[in-house]
Amino acid sequence: MRGIIRILRGFVATTIFISIFLLIFNFVVLGLLVFKEINQRPSPEVVLKQVAQGLNSQNESYDLDEQVTELLQHNEAWAMLLGEDGQVQWDYQLPNDVPRTYNLVDVALFSRYYLMEYPVYIWEHEDGLVVVGYPKKSHWKYQFDVLSDWMSSLPLRLVMLLLLNAAVALLISVVIGMRLMRGIRPLVDGVHSIAREEPVQLNSKEIFGDLARSINSASAILQKKTAALKARDEARSNWIAGISHDIRTPLSMVLGYASEMEDNLDLPEEQRHQAGIIRRQGEKLRSLVSDLNLVSMLEYEMQPLQLKHIRLTVLARQVATEFLNNGLDDRYVIELKMTDEAVQIKGDEKLLLRAISNLVENSMRHNPQGCEITLETSLSEDRSKYRFIVRDNGRGIPQEQLAEITELPYSSRRRRSVQQGHGLGLPMVARIAQAHQGRLKLVSGVDQGGLEAVMEFPV
Amino acid sequence: MDNLKSKKILIVDDEPEIRIMIESFLRKEGFFRIYSAADCASALSICRTGKPDIAILDVMLPDGDGFSLLSSIKQFLDMPVLFLSARGEDEDRLLGLGLGADDYMVKPFLPRELVLRLTAILKRVYSSPVAERLSAFQLGEYIIDLDSAIVHRNQQELPLTAKEHAILVKLYENQGRIVTSDALCQAVWGDDSYGYENTLMVHIRRVREKIEMDPSNPVYLLTVRGLGYKLLVKAIR
Repeated sequence: MRGIIRILRGFVATTIFISIFLLIFNFVVLGLLVFKEINQRPSPEVVLKQVAQGLNSQNESYDLDEQVTELLQHNEAWAMLLGEDGQVQWDYQLPNDVPRTYNLVDVALFSRYYLMEYPVYIWEHEDGLVVVGYPKKSHWKYQFDVLSDWMSSLPLRLVMLLLLNAAVALLISVVIGMRLMRGIRPLVDGVHSIAREEPVQLNSKEIFGDLARSINSASAILQKKTAALKARDEARSNWIAGISHDIRTPLSMVLGYASEMEDNLDLPEEQRHQAGIIRRQGEKLRSLVSDLNLVSMLEYEMQPLQLKHIRLTVLARQVATEFLNNGLDDRYVIELKMTDEAVQIKGDEKLLLRAISNLVENSMRHNPQGCEITLETSLSEDRSKYRFIVRDNGRGIPQEQLAEITELPYSSRRRRSVQQGHGLGLPMVARIAQAHQGRLKLVSGVDQGGLEAVMEFPV
Repeated sequence: MDNLKSKKILIVDDEPEIRIMIESFLRKEGFFRIYSAADCASALSICRTGKPDIAILDVMLPDGDGFSLLSSIKQFLDMPVLFLSARGEDEDRLLGLGLGADDYMVKPFLPRELVLRLTAILKRVYSSPVAERLSAFQLGEYIIDLDSAIVHRNQQELPLTAKEHAILVKLYENQGRIVTSDALCQAVWGDDSYGYENTLMVHIRRVREKIEMDPSNPVYLLTVRGLGYKLLVKAIR
């Protein structure tokens, strides 16, 4: 919607600019073409003045200057001099239908309008009144009669006119713009919907029908591809879920009978010991199956998150306590360094607990010789991210393995085989962090530098 | 206790081997009235005729799922139910518990765990309420009676306040194990109890004054630095 308003604003501005440009253009053209036409010949006033000046009296008769005669000829005009008595004293090319005598009323009339349909102009002469006439219909002759009030308010009126023009231009441009927008808006909405991966079905009979059809088909293609991708992900995840389901039932029996045999005092010691091995390996398989299931659900974004506000420091203490309560081996020491305890993040408590214990277990598994494990929480400098750090001072991980250790085992991106454990621990942590819009960063110091696993979550 | 063993147990699972295995575990534990069914229909008819006292239900059955079976059973018979599922998903767990199941276990399971959980449900549902009483326990010379919230100390009786009582109950339930201060705060002040850590310390101090010989050098209620507290109980009545 904001985009549309912006387009409309630009459109209106352009229209106004074009209108103003047109106005100026018109004025220029008016000046160049229209008024130039009029000024091609000398105006009647100039002709009159020259006639009056060039008409000299010489003993009862009059003589017109040569140049002025030519001027009259050139304009196809005639001229006459009316004496004080109303008689024509002198004339030049006076048409026959023009009377030779005039009274006061006649003079008053033709001085304002026409004389026998000839446009005539008058000028004062020392012997009377010089009259110059032009051919019929060659000139329009009207007199303006305006009030001085009108004259003084003329500039204001002109400004008003201009403003009115501007207003009309604006109105028209807005109306046209709106109509255009009405045509464009569905298209814009459609494109936005495509970006949000929503299905789009636009009316292709509008002005931009062609465009609408393209958008429709783009949307259809995208929908189809997304659906196919989702179906494939779902199939993969369901496949793993199905396998793990099918493994669980036989494994139940393996575990069940093995642990019964382990507890059966009638059996010899050695067989009970062997049953214990079967039970422990079965339990390993069990954790592998459930981890595999969880990782695949996370990988294909099918793990439902039960989000709530959680303080990670609470989880840190809980994990540390659990390790201590379950008999932490003396080789390992767990330290806590909690800061910014009040900060909450939105997360799934079980998954986050799982991630933290995985990191601690990972440190322990990689350092059978023992190590010191530090759980640390802190806000990033710009207070936009909350960090959970699990650090150990053990052997660390070679630099070249760091990058791929969060990839799933057996995937093409992981070239080395997994050495300890089933290799799902760290990939699971990375995916849990991703599911929380966070990330897992692993840093290992060079040579005996220990491992630092940093989970970053948005606050 | 013995009458728990005489409770009628219904096992519903489509895998015959699983049924046989569970039945043998239960018989070994002393249960002897055991019914088993392979599908919803036969399970329902057993429920109508045999009126079992508890059921172990599989979620996936050939003619329906365990959840709908539970709903139909609950219409005419009120009995505790333990779900046993090969699907580990959390939704299933929540759905099962939401429908009124008493517990939910994921296959594969250890027989000992199944029997423990089953017995726990039976105790909770069928034992007389007298056994529900909170325990009393002894710390050195003192006897702490959680039921009446009183510390008996050399013929002297020191009453516990509600908060001190809640702290002691939580610690006693997890005796010998560390309880984080967060968990203690939650037990006493409920959810969203951040910021009560200092108040908790004050209350712990008061509890120590009542149960420890020398509150400054505690031997029973120990502080685990940075994590929480631990109650060491030597003799349990």
